[in-house]
Amino acid sequence: MTSLRPILASAWMGIQHDIAWTTPVLSVALRVVAPFASAMTVSIIYWFGTTSASPGLFNADRLAYVLIGSTLYAHVASYAWVPTVAIAEGKNLSVFPHIYITSRSTAFYVAGTVLSSFVISTIASVAALILAYLALSSFLGTQIPATVTLTSVAMVAAALVANIPGALGLGFLLGAYSMYASKFEWSLPGYVAGLLMVFSGALFPTSFLPWPISVGAQYLPFTQFIAAAREALLPGTSGDYATSMGLCLVGGGILLGVSMFVYFASERKARKDGVIDRRLA
Amino acid sequence: MKARALVRLWSIFGEPLWIVVSMGFPVLSSLALSLLYYSIGAASYVGFAVLGGVMVSFWGNVLWSMASQFYWDKQEGLFEIYLTSPAPISAILIGMSVGGIIGTVPSALIVTGIGWVLFHPAVNAVWGGVILTFGLTLASLYAMGMTLSSLYLAYGREAESLNEVLQEPVSMLSGLYFPSLGARSPFPLAIQAAASLIPLTIGMDALRKTLFYGNDIWQVWPDLAILGVMAVVLLFASTYALKYLENVGRRDGTIGVRIR
Repeated sequence: MTSLRPILASAWMGIQHDIAWTTPVLSVALRVVAPFASAMTVSIIYWFGTTSASPGLFNADRLAYVLIGSTLYAHVASYAWVPTVAIAEGKNLSVFPHIYITSRSTAFYVAGTVLSSFVISTIASVAALILAYLALSSFLGTQIPATVTLTSVAMVAAALVANIPGALGLGFLLGAYSMYASKFEWSLPGYVAGLLMVFSGALFPTSFLPWPISVGAQYLPFTQFIAAAREALLPGTSGDYATSMGLCLVGGGILLGVSMFVYFASERKARKDGVIDRRLA
Repeated sequence: MKARALVRLWSIFGEPLWIVVSMGFPVLSSLALSLLYYSIGAASYVGFAVLGGVMVSFWGNVLWSMASQFYWDKQEGLFEIYLTSPAPISAILIGMSVGGIIGTVPSALIVTGIGWVLFHPAVNAVWGGVILTFGLTLASLYAMGMTLSSLYLAYGREAESLNEVLQEPVSMLSGLYFPSLGARSPFPLAIQAAASLIPLTIGMDALRKTLFYGNDIWQVWPDLAILGVMAVVLLFASTYALKYLENVGRRDGTIGVRIR
């Protein structure tokens, strides 16, 4: 209970920060635009490439594969880097030092902001996926396969939750970095999104990457999260949902454990070095 | 103009890390989309993804370092200095554009180099046409950035959210990575017409024609003419919009307000 309260307070603060700058409905609607456009872009590339290169290459199953992958990598990218902003902006506006001097660790603040962003991003990503599905079906005149039942939706929801430890772990690592570097931290979202595009199997199977990168990418919790969501939503997808979920949770747990160790070490060192309240590096 | 361009160049080249951080998304997204083209058996179109990565560097620069620049400048207290200096504000914006273009070149070159080494994209270029198209595309794109910066003068904290809303849809509609105009476009005619109002759409279409399909200047002259007209119109529009919003800001007392 004593841990839950600061997390919930931070999550509420995160929600206020992210959507209270305008009306909540408009704010969430605007957040749908980027993942929708991103999913559309990647799916159209698939459609254009396959229909232009050679007749018979286009496969609606693979289009669904790309559509789901592109929406979910954008989902992870949009909330995993939130601690970076929470710390960097918090230092600039003196929020972070004030949280540091409270009786609770700043890790609760970081976790709370990630959770609030997760909730907002989940709503935005699901809406973006539905909109992109409808728009692509209409523009491309093709039926995109998808299994949407109560069970499959519950399985995707479980996969989204199973990915939280991994995303939180990535968030803590980035947060540990931004505690020291209050400069160029704005570039991290681009790197996170780009790396996820390449290594999480979002757009193409990880086996397409050269060895041993392909092996590393295959066991990333984010890769397994996207695989689990695909196994739930796409009929006939190769792979086992339970295995993907298990690997996602184990990988996420390891990443979270390591990153919390790094974060706490960074916090201790930052205090010693006097950078907790330093605004510019 | 020269002074503002030098400040921007100094800030970029005086801190080499700036180049590294600004190339992250263009390089990685270009790599991912090139691999996507490759993985689906459409290797002949990998060049589209590489060109998209080059142009997204400039589009990102226009959006984050031109359009919303006055918002950051207000936060830092620089905007008041611009207003009180004898320099016309449009000259400051042009200086910012020139500095931004030169400063983004290293990132664009790195994307090109990595794309070239890894994928050897098939090119059938008419270089004169490519250079002219590229120049006109940048001129009209940065003129659009100047116009947007005047509109952003009216916004406070919304600027960042507006940028995030604009970035991806414009990338999609302008066809950074696939043709968004003509017979191979997936979009209905109405959307293509709307997308044509963005200089980047016309520029990307013409760049693909000259770089990959061997079209010479005479074959893309309508695109070049449109880009030229857009550059001039947007330049004048930005000057008028800036003056108008500056006056509104002075009258309402909001011109120097940092957080609202």
